[in-house]
Amino acid sequence: MMKREVAWRVFAAEYNSSSMEMKGEEERAPSYIITPLGALINRLFVIGVMTDVENMGTTEEPMWRGRISDPTGTFYVSAGQYQPEAALAMSKIKPPAFIAVIGKSRTYSPEEGTIYVSIRPERIAAVDERMRDHWVLETCKLTLERISALEDALEMETPSAEEMVKLGHGKSLAEGVVKSLPHYQGLELDRYRTMVVDALRYLIPEYRIEAEVPQSVAEVPEEIEEEEKEDIDKEEKVLGIIDKLDKKGKGAPWDEIVEETGKSGIDKSELEELTNSLLDKGLIYEPVLGKMKRI
Amino acid sequence: MEKEELAPHVSEISRVLKGKVEESEIWKELDTYLNHYRVSLETAKRGIVKKFGGDPSALMIGTRKPIQQLGLNEQSVDILAKVITVNEKDIEVDGKQKSILYGIIGDDSGTIPYTAWEADRYPLRRGEVVLIRNAYTKEWGGQPQVNLGTRASIEQQPEESVKLPEGMPRAFPDAGEVKISDLQENMGGVTVTARILSLEKREVDVSGEKRIVHSGILADETGKVQFSAWYDFELKPNDLITIRGAYVRSWRGIPQLNFGERSQVTRTNIKFPSGADLAKPKTRSIGDLERIGGGIDVLVRGTVVEVRKGSGLIFRCPECNRVVQKSSCRVHGSVQAQPDLRIKAVVDDGIATMTAVISRKLTESIMRMSLEESMRLAKEAMDPNVILEKIDEKLFAQPIELEGNVTSDEYGLMMIVSSARVSVPEVRNEAGALLNQLEESE
Repeated sequence: MMKREVAWRVFAAEYNSSSMEMKGEEERAPSYIITPLGALINRLFVIGVMTDVENMGTTEEPMWRGRISDPTGTFYVSAGQYQPEAALAMSKIKPPAFIAVIGKSRTYSPEEGTIYVSIRPERIAAVDERMRDHWVLETCKLTLERISALEDALEMETPSAEEMVKLGHGKSLAEGVVKSLPHYQGLELDRYRTMVVDALRYLIPEYRIEAEVPQSVAEVPEEIEEEEKEDIDKEEKVLGIIDKLDKKGKGAPWDEIVEETGKSGIDKSELEELTNSLLDKGLIYEPVLGKMKRI
Repeated sequence: MEKEELAPHVSEISRVLKGKVEESEIWKELDTYLNHYRVSLETAKRGIVKKFGGDPSALMIGTRKPIQQLGLNEQSVDILAKVITVNEKDIEVDGKQKSILYGIIGDDSGTIPYTAWEADRYPLRRGEVVLIRNAYTKEWGGQPQVNLGTRASIEQQPEESVKLPEGMPRAFPDAGEVKISDLQENMGGVTVTARILSLEKREVDVSGEKRIVHSGILADETGKVQFSAWYDFELKPNDLITIRGAYVRSWRGIPQLNFGERSQVTRTNIKFPSGADLAKPKTRSIGDLERIGGGIDVLVRGTVVEVRKGSGLIFRCPECNRVVQKSSCRVHGSVQAQPDLRIKAVVDDGIATMTAVISRKLTESIMRMSLEESMRLAKEAMDPNVILEKIDEKLFAQPIELEGNVTSDEYGLMMIVSSARVSVPEVRNEAGALLNQLEESE
């Protein structure tokens, strides 16, 4: 019997940047997605916000698709008739909702050289915000571990999994890093480090809105600071309005938002900027075209 | 000489003779040379090859190897070494008394224990340098041991032909000072400083011989380990001791420390955690346990990624405790099955994974539901699976903290859980600390 595959914790941004696959050669041998940071993923565990879920198939042959967002991006999840339990669970989810998924890595390659990754869930369940936050922290720590493994590998003349294990890295990470390194040329580790920093800030309430404010506020001319603050105040206002207009829980209609914010002196183009910023921060989303909803 | 010991030589002769002569023929010849003419194995091999028109120089005349390169199962090997210790011992073989020699030999690459199975044939003396021909090695405690069987021979060599490095002698490649959490199967020459947490005296049967063993649990700040002392060192509970020359064996992946007559035990008086401090389980990562193979009384943190089938309300055979389906035990047939509760959960920390087995009592307290209550619920639903579903609902994706003993086999790690805590840790402070750390290093 084969040993159980570990459930990797990766952020969506890392997972979705994967362009490398390792197919099992023998029958029933597991396949893996190798991420830029060397995670060798056959199975993964994600907690995030399910922002939409839809049956793309038929009632007889359902194919449920959903999006789960984390602080860095979006995971795509799909479950069909061969995952009856997960499909049933997905059909019952009312987005937005905190969701935990354990599943297998899947790839879709519409043309040579292009790979889209998704998750085929084995089990999917509603969880709470605290569990999501815990997942984010754990994923930060494990991402940092991968970054440090890559740094160690970059120091080596000819990186080998054996040497990596001697440095204290796990066996499959060691193997993954050695494989990923030649594939992902010109990898910017700093980008991933910044991603972790942003994700950590996401966990600390004081940063939640201020995250967009330049870090060294003192160096910023006063007017700009004022403007930034004003923007944030306005964002808060827009959020409040979206909340208020979302009477049926299906989102606030765009036209009504424009009308309502106009009364507060926010014109349409400014409103668009503000909602874009809110979308970027993951505070709102578009459940259907023309509607905005708070997460 | 044993037949299996001779077999490689027969195939070697056959190889040199390019298969011109049947192996059965070679066996017969070898038997004649060795047992009738009583010549050495080397002479016999050369003689046979020559007799059949082969080239004797094509024979590998016992490969000579430095001690460090000796494998666990050398069939015939030559060793040039210095005799470091010689001990004589009487043993009984097939009802006959027989004297053997054992001790340690060494060269510049290392040292190794040896046994010479016929004392009178091998005039080994301490400090002498000898060329041992046609020795074989056997595995003992994961390390090779040199054996001098009936066909081995020794030749004295000038004393200066082997120089031992400084710091010799040592019986095994020395693992040296090791913390308990780093003990691994087959380590030898281990030095451990630890406190005795518990101790008992047992009588065990070692190949027909009754022996007293003092066993118990030792602990340092990294964890606990079971030990067996095969000699009476007059150990007492709570003693703080340094053991030198111990070795490690594993049971289902759990390392166990052994020491005996040839080991040294000294009391030390250094600053060391108290017995009460040491009694608390120490945190270990699942990956670490996977590398070592297991451990006793460890604390593990992870997330429940699956509640396995076979969790929840189960029924057991009253005879053999096996889980039964439909009141029918596959050994005892139709039985009055006894209800039980348990959880088998897969716990994963993103690096490694293990199965945790949680017994009835703990299951009842985690689920805040007694066995009777779960029986009632199952009856109501007319389906015992409702309990499995409830457990899954409660535990899936939950961070969990477990204490217990971890064993391993070909399916991976398994913990028999003695204590469990299901709770989501507060993340803010840790996230803040990690953030500061990252910003400082920028």
